[in-house]
Amino acid sequence: MSSLKQLQDLIQEKYKIDPATLDPNASMLEQGVDSLALAEFLFDIEDHFGIEFPDARADINSLAGLAQVIDEIKASKAA
Amino acid sequence: MAAITGIGVVSPHGDSHEAMFAALMRGESAIHKFTSDLPNAKPAAVASAAFEASEWFTPLQLAGVDRVSQFAVAAAARAMIDAGAAGMYEPARIGIYVGCGMGGGSSLEAGYTSGLRSGRVPPLTIPAFMPNAPASHIAMRLKATGPVLTYSVACASSAVALGEAAKAIRCGEVDMAIAGGSEALLVPGVVKAWQAMQTLSVFEPGRAASSCRPFAADRSGFALGEGAAFVVLESPERARARGARRYAELTGWGLSCDATHLTKPDAGGQQAAIRNALAVAGLEARDIGYCNAHGTATRIGDVVESEALNGAWGADIDRLRVSSTKSMHGHLLGAAGALEAVITVLALEKRQLPPNACCETPEPACRLNLVRETGAAAPDLNAAISSSFAFGGTNAVLVFQRA
Repeated sequence: MSSLKQLQDLIQEKYKIDPATLDPNASMLEQGVDSLALAEFLFDIEDHFGIEFPDARADINSLAGLAQVIDEIKASKAA
Repeated sequence: MAAITGIGVVSPHGDSHEAMFAALMRGESAIHKFTSDLPNAKPAAVASAAFEASEWFTPLQLAGVDRVSQFAVAAAARAMIDAGAAGMYEPARIGIYVGCGMGGGSSLEAGYTSGLRSGRVPPLTIPAFMPNAPASHIAMRLKATGPVLTYSVACASSAVALGEAAKAIRCGEVDMAIAGGSEALLVPGVVKAWQAMQTLSVFEPGRAASSCRPFAADRSGFALGEGAAFVVLESPERARARGARRYAELTGWGLSCDATHLTKPDAGGQQAAIRNALAVAGLEARDIGYCNAHGTATRIGDVVESEALNGAWGADIDRLRVSSTKSMHGHLLGAAGALEAVITVLALEKRQLPPNACCETPEPACRLNLVRETGAAAPDLNAAISSSFAFGGTNAVLVFQRA
């Protein structure tokens, strides 16, 4: 399963947000996700994927952008 | 003085203050067994509140909102609905006054547990457990932009909050105050900490409901409770002008500190708070017909409270009917003063006295006219007090009169 699909499943499961209503390429903050909820979601992502987000990427808040960071981290772990 | 024009609760006896009062009048205890999976955990007797967070929050809104804040938002919103006061006042003229003893205990415990287990602490642990979070969540929900304050004075927290709110109404600092308290500490670590302090009632299998026995010879401590209670306060003139229902008026408030011991109560300090409250209300002790006592059912506490009441009432002590409703709803700690104030207000409004339940044999050292019967009517009742005495020595007494 792609990282993006897993993120969409995670956000649906946790916040009951239908992935179809959230543009993966747009900022989640600009789509009504509160900054505190986003911080909590990032923590859950780390748990789910077993990764740690680098502080330098903390500004990313679109689902597609997060999926890309996750894929990069996974790739660097695998290498 | 301030008129009480709205009431809202999240209580061990349910979400309706009317149904809660009716259950209390029937002498129904909401206390039951609590167990946890902590090492060496012993069962305790507690009174929990059935609560459905999804009635008040979307899953997204619940991020970082502890149970204590969820209770607070629900009870305060119910009080506002009950008062029919939405849109009546400028947001900047509305104040929020909240009593809370310990904040978000479940978030703090979950944060520590997670940290100890994995080294990772959830990022919203701090905003979830900070003790002023309940007040802030109410302010955001009700759009109140005036003073938004939290009083953390242990078991007197929300009695203090009501008194401070009434002062703010009287001096014109706010036009409307939403005042009350919230507490949600039925989590394994906190229950264990209270057990360690030897203040909780002895748990007896099959007898959990009657484990808190205030002013009884066989009392052994209190049962922890959880919940929230809020009232809407307005000046009597404004309340009348807008045709609001007035349950009762908060006419007196008295504070004092024992300044003797952190946890041992003191009759002199308690008496001072009673006298201060009566003086603000302009009443004599004999004018008061009912006292909703602090009555925690500890071995020492009930005797000291009886001494304080006897000191203040003197020869008139038999005219004062007394009950501790903690026997049925448990001790809500920071929310106790507000919940018991609501019960006192409803007792005045209905001229009915809730019983001092579970007291088969009264403690001989407590010379009080306890309400031992259920369904007690009080046709002549015009004024009542609610007492809250805190660890730390602060005593708070509120006087209510019929509107």
